[in-house]
Amino acid sequence: MRAVLWRAISGQRRDVVTGAVLGAVHQAGEVMVPVLIGVVIDQGVAGGDLPALARWLVVLAVVYVVLSFSYRFGARAGERAAERAGHTLRMELVERVLDARGGAEEGRLPGALTNTATEDAKRVGAVNMSVMLAFSALAGIVVAAVVLLRISVPLGLVVLAGTPLLLFLGHLLSKPLEKASEDQQDRAAHASGVAADLIKGLRVLKGIGAETAAVARYRVTSGDSLAATLRAARAEALQTGLVVALTGVFIAVVALVGGRLAASGAITLGELVSAVGLALFLIGPLEVFAWVNAQFAMGRASAARIAEVLAAPHAIAAGTSRAPVPVRGSLRLRAVSHDTLKGVDLEVAPGEVLGVAAVDPADAVSLLSCLGRTADPSSGTVELDGVALADLDPAALREVVLVADHDADLFEGTLRENVGGDHPEALAAAGADEVAGELPGGIDGHVGERGQSLSGGQRQRVALARALAADRAVLVVHDPTTAVDAVTEARIASRLRDVRRDRTTILVTTSPALLAVADRVVLLDGGRVTDAAPHADLVTRNAVYRTAVLA
Amino acid sequence: MSRELLPVATAARTRAVLLDLIRPYRALALGGFAVMVVATSIGLLTQPLLGAVVDLVAAGEPATAITTPVLALVVVALTQGGTMTLGLALVSRLGETVLARLRERFVGRAMRLPLEQVERAGSGDLTSRVTGDVSLIAEAVRVALPEMARSGLAIVLTLGALAILDWRFLLAALIAVPVQWHTARWYVRTAGPLYARQRVAGGAQQQQLLDTIGGAKTVRAFRLEADHTAKVAERSTTAVDLTMRGVNLVLRFYSRLHVAEYAGLAAVLVAGFLMVRSGAASIGTATAAALYFHSLFAPVNTALVLIDDAQSAGAALARLVGVIDQPEPPALDRPKAPRIEVSGLGHAYDEGRPVLHDVDLTIREGERVALVGASGAGKTTLARLIAGIHRPAAGVIAVPGEVGMVTQDVHVFAGPLADDLRLARPDATDADLREALTRVDALTWAETLPAGLATVVGEGGHRLTATQIQQLALARLILADPPVAVLDEATAEAGSAGARVLEKAIETTVEGRTALIVAHRLTQAAATDRVVVMDGGRIVESGPHDELRSSGGRYASLWEAWSGVRPNSKNPLE
Repeated sequence: MRAVLWRAISGQRRDVVTGAVLGAVHQAGEVMVPVLIGVVIDQGVAGGDLPALARWLVVLAVVYVVLSFSYRFGARAGERAAERAGHTLRMELVERVLDARGGAEEGRLPGALTNTATEDAKRVGAVNMSVMLAFSALAGIVVAAVVLLRISVPLGLVVLAGTPLLLFLGHLLSKPLEKASEDQQDRAAHASGVAADLIKGLRVLKGIGAETAAVARYRVTSGDSLAATLRAARAEALQTGLVVALTGVFIAVVALVGGRLAASGAITLGELVSAVGLALFLIGPLEVFAWVNAQFAMGRASAARIAEVLAAPHAIAAGTSRAPVPVRGSLRLRAVSHDTLKGVDLEVAPGEVLGVAAVDPADAVSLLSCLGRTADPSSGTVELDGVALADLDPAALREVVLVADHDADLFEGTLRENVGGDHPEALAAAGADEVAGELPGGIDGHVGERGQSLSGGQRQRVALARALAADRAVLVVHDPTTAVDAVTEARIASRLRDVRRDRTTILVTTSPALLAVADRVVLLDGGRVTDAAPHADLVTRNAVYRTAVLA
Repeated sequence: MSRELLPVATAARTRAVLLDLIRPYRALALGGFAVMVVATSIGLLTQPLLGAVVDLVAAGEPATAITTPVLALVVVALTQGGTMTLGLALVSRLGETVLARLRERFVGRAMRLPLEQVERAGSGDLTSRVTGDVSLIAEAVRVALPEMARSGLAIVLTLGALAILDWRFLLAALIAVPVQWHTARWYVRTAGPLYARQRVAGGAQQQQLLDTIGGAKTVRAFRLEADHTAKVAERSTTAVDLTMRGVNLVLRFYSRLHVAEYAGLAAVLVAGFLMVRSGAASIGTATAAALYFHSLFAPVNTALVLIDDAQSAGAALARLVGVIDQPEPPALDRPKAPRIEVSGLGHAYDEGRPVLHDVDLTIREGERVALVGASGAGKTTLARLIAGIHRPAAGVIAVPGEVGMVTQDVHVFAGPLADDLRLARPDATDADLREALTRVDALTWAETLPAGLATVVGEGGHRLTATQIQQLALARLILADPPVAVLDEATAEAGSAGARVLEKAIETTVEGRTALIVAHRLTQAAATDRVVVMDGGRIVESGPHDELRSSGGRYASLWEAWSGVRPNSKNPLE
């Protein structure tokens, strides 16, 4: 966590230092404005001295130019450091998630990981801005303190002790309020969540005529939420009121002490005006400190989340061997046990089309993770052309063996981009040419975020086309046609062999249409291979198979 | 289907609806405003009181003389704090209450929009209005509204106070206004489009990350890592660049405001100098004027920055009012019949591209009919027309009563499982819920959930499988209990094993109902009373499964291809 934070800051040290120095100059300038107002009143207005007025107004102008430019370029450097650090962390996270050895997504939802890559990265980056602001605020306080103490030691001490005390009191009084307010905000946010949820489920609601029930339910939620928000708003109003009252009382105290000093001639009128101005000014940088503290706390929490993802253990160990060249595409499983699999022995010849029908879908999933090496079997080995998969570099393995999951995701972009270029044969074999025909824009039509603008059946066909187009030596497809209508499924089955000729293909499915075109089908039952024969033979001779596939 | 976004209201219409919403709370609005004016006015006594201290000192009065103005300062502070609390609470109450009524009206209206219209707009349109736009307005009401009320009043009343000190101070202070006015206009003009681009870029980055991270397994399997990393980098860089442009804009904005600050401050000081010299004002008055002007910096900056928030909230409001203003669609007026009678039905989503031609179909009371055909054959269109989701372009559909529909859309409503089910029948007892779950074979898993039927499911809650979600959809249909049920590929999202569980659940769901089932697994078709085969928007075959299977037509060859078994061999299901 510390390492992540430190890297985020040290990586941008030039901008952070520039920002801090210029920020300090700006704060010093802001201190000078009330001081100069006092001086102008003192030397110009009170004495009726025109040249003095002109002189000090010029000084005020110079101060304004300096404070304005130093703020502009200082804040720019700070923000740039924040944004760049956030970007760097974001990319580190993406690279970790996409690491061929996997493991980063384990136990984390995509939404949560995305949030880490956006919000958490941003918050850690923003620590740069906080560092810069904290340094500037400190500079402002020091300059103000020096000026105040030079005016008058007792008055200076009143202001310097009073301002933190004021903020501390404000903090103390508002802390319970803040807590209450945060809780209420959460409940208030609930209403908008419920509304979005109901809208997302609009089709479902309309399907059962539940619109009225939904609206009634939303009214209740919205009412609850309003009550919570109003409590929070009252708490916030009270907090603001308290701060206003405390600040006013503080000014009165400064006026009292300063006025007495001025009346006794210890300080001038202008110095009294400056002191009041500085007392008001000091609230600013001290508030920055409180804010920076909160930012740091958030930054630390975010950095911890990022560090946890970056350090997530890999799902598999990286092997070092290269894949055999040229690949023949034979697979052999020897006594493979993994999750639900109990000692599976299986040989797949190069160029064979093998069907795998699993009675328990969990067996199919376990087999797929061993073949695609998203996990290593707990015992036994999987070999490609006689080389154990565990010895191979996982990235290199995936260039030879492709496991196309049942729920494989499509990506935002055109159909062509999703399939990976022009592959008319693969498109036709998967029935995705029809999808292109139905899509506005054809093959260059957009499929929407995660392919959401396509129907389930269309998505599956595009995903299958992509798997065929990748043209790997070994292709393992899992339930590729569950959302496809029977007419299209039959057509896909009839073309599959042709497009995969001479390359090894494993169809893990219970669809009879697909299993019928396999050279051989193995039946997985209770974690073991219990039978193997062509589909037609299994249908006639194996009752378990018949139930699994045709019932 | 061509895109047609939901409408956005005009500025005049938005104002009218807003006023209409505020009308019931007139007293609250006036009260809140009045209290804020009082609070701000009291606060403005601070500077003259400080001026009085200066004057007393300048007049050489003894130190004790300043006690009175100092005590007055304390009273001012306490009263201002108290009235400010009350005023802000009232303003927030007004804003939040109006916002609640607004979102309730929006959701009420959105729920009754014709599905057809929502789909033409794309599902994101309505969702983004209810999330993005509502929260934008909520944020504005929560933060900007009280701030605006405070700053706006502070500016107006401070300028008034300057005028009370002497009208010439006001004149001097107003020197800053042209610069501020021009700066604000320039800022709003430039910032609006830039922030819109920033939001788009932020959304694009978020979406690319979701795509890449959510699909990480696929990215690795297809070796697309470099491609996806580059895409994320590109979107992130764009977002960073736009943020930096926004930062630069804001910083330039502040630079210009500094110019205005200096000009005004110098003018007020010069005015004070001249008036003190001519005896028109005391030093204390000049001090108060300078302090007034210095105290204007903060509210002016706040108000100018808030202009942007107010503008985006206004745009968001127009999008909400656009939906609220949609006319209530006339009720779908369909003839009643004891059975489903479809005659001469034709339909096209886009002019000139008909998807259904002259379809006639009768479904007896209690009959279960399966629709089979290739995608694009018109199955879903026919199902949706019968369910009453679309108005047919030609022909008549008579139905016996309400039609319930379950599609492949999977959605679980966030909240306790029991609440989800009760959407279908709000007065259902726990026993009713259990019975419905039992009928779809879901009670076993539902009861083993961490808190049983009270388990929070849906977004942010316990995750259910696609099969479980569809079981819930069927249980809702049972609870809603319509005489007619339409099921459109309700098993499609579940894997092959889930499909079988769902097929059984569908069978019990449609018991005692007239049912139309769009099926892609032919075992499901085989289990119905009659199979209707569609092709090219027409019905091409119709009859019981066994009859069609032996008739040697389309269905027969389809069955053969599907089961991988020769037609003359023994039916393996028998």
